Amino acid sequence: MTAALQHRPDAIPVTLVTDASALVPMDRDTAYLKLPPNSGHGHADGQHCAACAGRDDVRTMLFELLEGARQGLHPAFTRVVVDASGLGDTTKVIAALTGKLPAQALRDHTVARRFYLVG
Amino acid sequence: MSPSPIRPIAKPDGAEILAALTQAARERILILDGAMGTMIQRLGFDESNFRGERFVDSAKPLQGNNDLLILTEPQAIEDIHYAYAKAGADIMETNTFSATSIAQADYGMEHVVYDLNYEGARIVRRAADRATAEDGRRRFVAGALGPTNRTASISPDVNNPGYRGVTFDELRIAYAEQLHGLIDGGADIILIETIFDTLNAKAAVFATEEVFAEKGVRLPIMISGTITDLSGRTLSGQTPTAFWYSLRHASPFTIGLNCALGADLMRGHVAEISAVADTFVCAYPNAGLPNEFGGYDETPELMAEQLEGFAAAGLINVVGGCCGSTPDHIKAIADAVGKHPPRQIPEVPPLMRLSGLEPFTLTKDIPFVNVGERTNVTGSARFRKLITAGDYTAALAVARDQVENGAQIIDINMDEGLIDSKKVMVEFLNLIAAEPDIARVPIMIDSSKWEVIEAGLQCVQGKALVNSISMKEGEEAFLHHARLCRAYGAAVVVMAFDEQGQADTLERKVEICTRAYKLLTEKIGFPPEDIVFDPNVFAVATGIEEHNNYGNDFIGAAKQITETLPHVHISGGISNLSFSFRGNEPVREAMHAVFLYYAIQNGMDMGIVNAGQLAVYESIDKELRDACEDVILNRRPDSTDRLLEIAEKYRGTGGKEAAAKDLSWREKSVEERIGYAMVNGITEFIDADTEEARQKADRPLHVIEGPLMAGMSIVGDLFGSGKMFLPQVVKSARVMKQAVALLLPYMEAEKLANGGAEGERQSAGKVLMATVKGDVHDIGKNIVGVVLACNNYEIIDLGVMVPVAKILQTARDENVDIIGLSGLITPSLDEMAHVAAEMEREGFDIPLLIGGATTSRVHTAVKIHPRYERGQAVYVNDASRAVGVVSNLLSPDTKVTFIENVRAEYAKAAAAHLRAEEEKQRLPLVKARANAFKPDWDGYTPPVPKFLGTKVFDDYDLETLAKYIDWTPFFQTWELKGRYPAILSDEKQGEAARQLFADAQKMLAQIISEKWFHPRAVLGFWPANAVGDDIRLYKDEGREEELATLFTLRQQLSKRGDNPNVALADFVSPRDGGKPDYVGAFVVTAGIEEVAIAERFEKDNDDYSSILVKALADRFAEAFAEKLHEDVRRNYWGYAHNETLAPEELIGENYRGIRPAPGYPAQPDHTEKTTLFNLLDAENAAGVRLTESYAMWPGSSVSGIYLSHPDAYYFGVAKVERDQVLDYAARKGMSVAEVERWLSPILNYIPAPTIVAAE
Repeated sequence: MTAALQHRPDAIPVTLVTDASALVPMDRDTAYLKLPPNSGHGHADGQHCAACAGRDDVRTMLFELLEGARQGLHPAFTRVVVDASGLGDTTKVIAALTGKLPAQALRDHTVARRFYLVG
Repeated sequence: MSPSPIRPIAKPDGAEILAALTQAARERILILDGAMGTMIQRLGFDESNFRGERFVDSAKPLQGNNDLLILTEPQAIEDIHYAYAKAGADIMETNTFSATSIAQADYGMEHVVYDLNYEGARIVRRAADRATAEDGRRRFVAGALGPTNRTASISPDVNNPGYRGVTFDELRIAYAEQLHGLIDGGADIILIETIFDTLNAKAAVFATEEVFAEKGVRLPIMISGTITDLSGRTLSGQTPTAFWYSLRHASPFTIGLNCALGADLMRGHVAEISAVADTFVCAYPNAGLPNEFGGYDETPELMAEQLEGFAAAGLINVVGGCCGSTPDHIKAIADAVGKHPPRQIPEVPPLMRLSGLEPFTLTKDIPFVNVGERTNVTGSARFRKLITAGDYTAALAVARDQVENGAQIIDINMDEGLIDSKKVMVEFLNLIAAEPDIARVPIMIDSSKWEVIEAGLQCVQGKALVNSISMKEGEEAFLHHARLCRAYGAAVVVMAFDEQGQADTLERKVEICTRAYKLLTEKIGFPPEDIVFDPNVFAVATGIEEHNNYGNDFIGAAKQITETLPHVHISGGISNLSFSFRGNEPVREAMHAVFLYYAIQNGMDMGIVNAGQLAVYESIDKELRDACEDVILNRRPDSTDRLLEIAEKYRGTGGKEAAAKDLSWREKSVEERIGYAMVNGITEFIDADTEEARQKADRPLHVIEGPLMAGMSIVGDLFGSGKMFLPQVVKSARVMKQAVALLLPYMEAEKLANGGAEGERQSAGKVLMATVKGDVHDIGKNIVGVVLACNNYEIIDLGVMVPVAKILQTARDENVDIIGLSGLITPSLDEMAHVAAEMEREGFDIPLLIGGATTSRVHTAVKIHPRYERGQAVYVNDASRAVGVVSNLLSPDTKVTFIENVRAEYAKAAAAHLRAEEEKQRLPLVKARANAFKPDWDGYTPPVPKFLGTKVFDDYDLETLAKYIDWTPFFQTWELKGRYPAILSDEKQGEAARQLFADAQKMLAQIISEKWFHPRAVLGFWPANAVGDDIRLYKDEGREEELATLFTLRQQLSKRGDNPNVALADFVSPRDGGKPDYVGAFVVTAGIEEVAIAERFEKDNDDYSSILVKALADRFAEAFAEKLHEDVRRNYWGYAHNETLAPEELIGENYRGIRPAPGYPAQPDHTEKTTLFNLLDAENAAGVRLTESYAMWPGSSVSGIYLSHPDAYYFGVAKVERDQVLDYAARKGMSVAEVERWLSPILNYIPAPTIVAAE
């Protein structure tokens, strides 16, 4: 309570896990997201089909977490653990979580304001 | 446009096409085709197929550019269309989703866009003709316009939300080129589909209208949006209804949705559109989700079954498939929906329907629309200042406030001589578009310059309202502007203004508006419900006789206009009316209220008003109200004089009488009154009620056990079920405590008379609570205490900084049932483990509760629980859980099972933690250092502070600091979760939050006016340079004599992409680089006074105020830190003297430089505070000292260092390895064991027991 807030007060820390065998401490305030590998589409991810592009976009998934909590579909949370162990390359995920991936939807702006990557 | 020589064979007959389609759609559900991409993928084309012969030399790879196959594999594409035609499609889409110059730029294929579209349409036409020749059924060619790969209302850069990757005009031109190709190639329909951003679609509609006009044709238009996530909104954030309202001006043949994750997920949204759209509805979802094998998981049968459900529910008129669907799907869908009649188009009454992200319909239920006027530079001096200073962040906050305060539309006006109105309008609207809580309402684009209005219209995806157009420059200009408003999909305000000037009399107002109405509705088909007339509000009571009837003129005109011109609306700028009473706000408010009272009854339904400053007609003092009515209705010749006479009397009163409180509950029985007072937290009558109950009862104890406990149990139930919130519960507890305090003397007397302890109140259990040694934070602990007390537990609160010996002694003396420990700073974690070990050693077996901000379940499981085997340590993370845990632990029935569960849970958590620790890979320190954050020091000169040494601030102005308070953490303290100010209107917690906020504001005012706190601070700067991972401070600019060293820790995280392994020292210029740099430090405190004040409240049995004052003291300390940091940036260090962030924007920390605090993530070592405090002589200079655990006393204090580098950022060191600990200990001259002790929460290894430590 008495030190400089290191992030905006309602921003939610996101921890990225890349090692499948790593176990991260979780509690009831932690939400867990598992990123799927490539959606297996007929086209490259993000091309043509917006619906499918969102499916493996960590921002869409985080937005849905917020939205789900808002709608009471699952409990509110104050932390998120993102399991990226299924992905070969996390460059895009990290870019998305650090505001470096081009936004394609308004929700990407919401996510940029509400989540931050801690490790 | 491409200069391609290809021309259409014959001009299409759009009217015939529309008639044929409409007739067919009335008879049956029409079938649209399915996915193109999915079918193309099956063909397995490679790069050479995409290149063909024509593009064999293309510089860029072309594979994946599916549209290009129109030119390079035309037969394959035609065959796919043909397959869909044979499967039953009535409407077939061209393969031109990406055939715009914008989307083709990725492939360098901008030059073939016309050909792609022309041939794309021709190919479908050929396939259709082939099928028709075989079965005689007519097929329609839908020329498809995709979303492009850019968005006009969303910035691609989240750090720069006002930026746009494409403009409305660029889209309009690109779409026009595509449209020429499609129409020339023989398209029957224009299909604007897969809309991500409604503004892109509006540009497409605009282009379509232009191309139609140019070609002299008019084809049916189909429009289809995309909703892909749980929010049920488009990618640009609109609800389905808002989306429809934004595009309704296209008068499309169909509106609908495509591309969602399966039909089921789309159904609700299609149903919403189906209910509001007065045109045909079209849906073509994806075939479910893609699976790992590259296929889709919805079979033709399954998809058909789901879409048949749409048909059976009467939701659709046209149906097809998107990604993943095939001719088999389309055939199955056609067979399934064929059994059902098409949807009936609903009757939609002609009402004004606007939209932002959400729809707004002006229905009869809304007597009056408040248009927010605070974002108008001509109406608000404050907003004008913000805009001319370029302070968009504060300007956005003004817009946000208006929406939060209930503005249903916001008026944006940038007509200021000193600024580039057009540019600023565009910039501000673009910024608003990125703010979902502002952009949800429709925008009124307000300017006297048409070019500003048009620029604004090109920025908004919603249906806006233009303010205003008029016949000032004649009919031609008027109709030109009106046509454009329509083409941009906006409604209009029409000023009663013609070539002769502004209408002043009733007759002129009505005449001009009638003429405008006829022109708009008859000449250009403008929907009358989208017309708002502004018949001009003029000032009355000016002393000029001709002005006396202006009020009547307006009201009368409103009546005539709305009676004679169907569906129109009346608006006006109200503040003009009371111009002559400038400076006397109460009288102005009363005049406005009276004017609106009559104007609304006579048809006015919209107005630009400051909703926060409007009196309620009924509550205006009668004398003032009558005088205002006389003036406005021009009822007597001397009415102006009479109003002037009494006006002075009302200056500063608000013109209202206090509303009487509802006291009907006072008429109930005393038991009911007590219950009511407790649930509502009212202390006003509790003494009298308690006394009455005591006299009625046999014994004083019965009052506690009867009505008081009954009331508390209602409160407990309501809290437990989430219907009451913490601040309300604490208020209820205050009522309880007051009542008990009144009864206690009687109970004592009774005890004396009986000569014993017989009949003492039975509590549910005794709970000892303490903040551990070295820690001073107790708000959370106090809250838990109050909540437990509410549930009939007896609380012994030992306060803060309590040594273990005192805790255990008291526990023994008082024979307590449970001990609860609290702490906020990380060293308290160790102290709690120590308490646990001592309890074990001294033979305790009662439960131990652990709580506080840094505690966690894992820490309790791993560090505390194993040290206390006789009893049970339990982690309790918030007050609402405390009651359940304590009652379980004290109930003989549940205790055993509960403890078993806790132990099992902790065993699991500990095991998981251990595994995680073992497997975590950290970089060796050497490697982490090699990957340090390395700014470009060569191209950078660190700024020089205005002074070196320290500066003391005493008794800082509280009112100034109050502006810097960040309220969100304040609500968090009370376990109200959400952001301020949104929390105030939160559906569930809003009421509790508003009450709490009102109480806080009241106390805040008292704190300021009565100077409860005396904030102090000390600030210092020193020459400094980085040496390795440390920051050396020097006595003077000579930089020879070292003053102190700030030791910093480096991140040892691995696998972090390009991210550096940063330490705070990286942000300071290195010693060997030779550039002089500086470091600052500060300690601020709200002062020591808070402690005594809180105690005084506690003594008065007012825990609520006690917790409140502590929470506010904390806020003042944080606000002070924020304010001082701002002064440092702008002035004392001065590297950001141009910074213009408003206080509320500082929360976002979008400024240059950081102020990390020892003990927090960027430097987790609390012992660094010692250096800081010595440098600043903080104890003498600011009255703040450190406890043995390095907590600051008084508790409401903040300290930290200042770093100025523009790239400096907050980070977390996270876990460190032993190599760094050894290195750090050596640098710092501390023993390894001691460093390990202070860093124990962040060690990435289990330290050796100290006994065998041989370093």
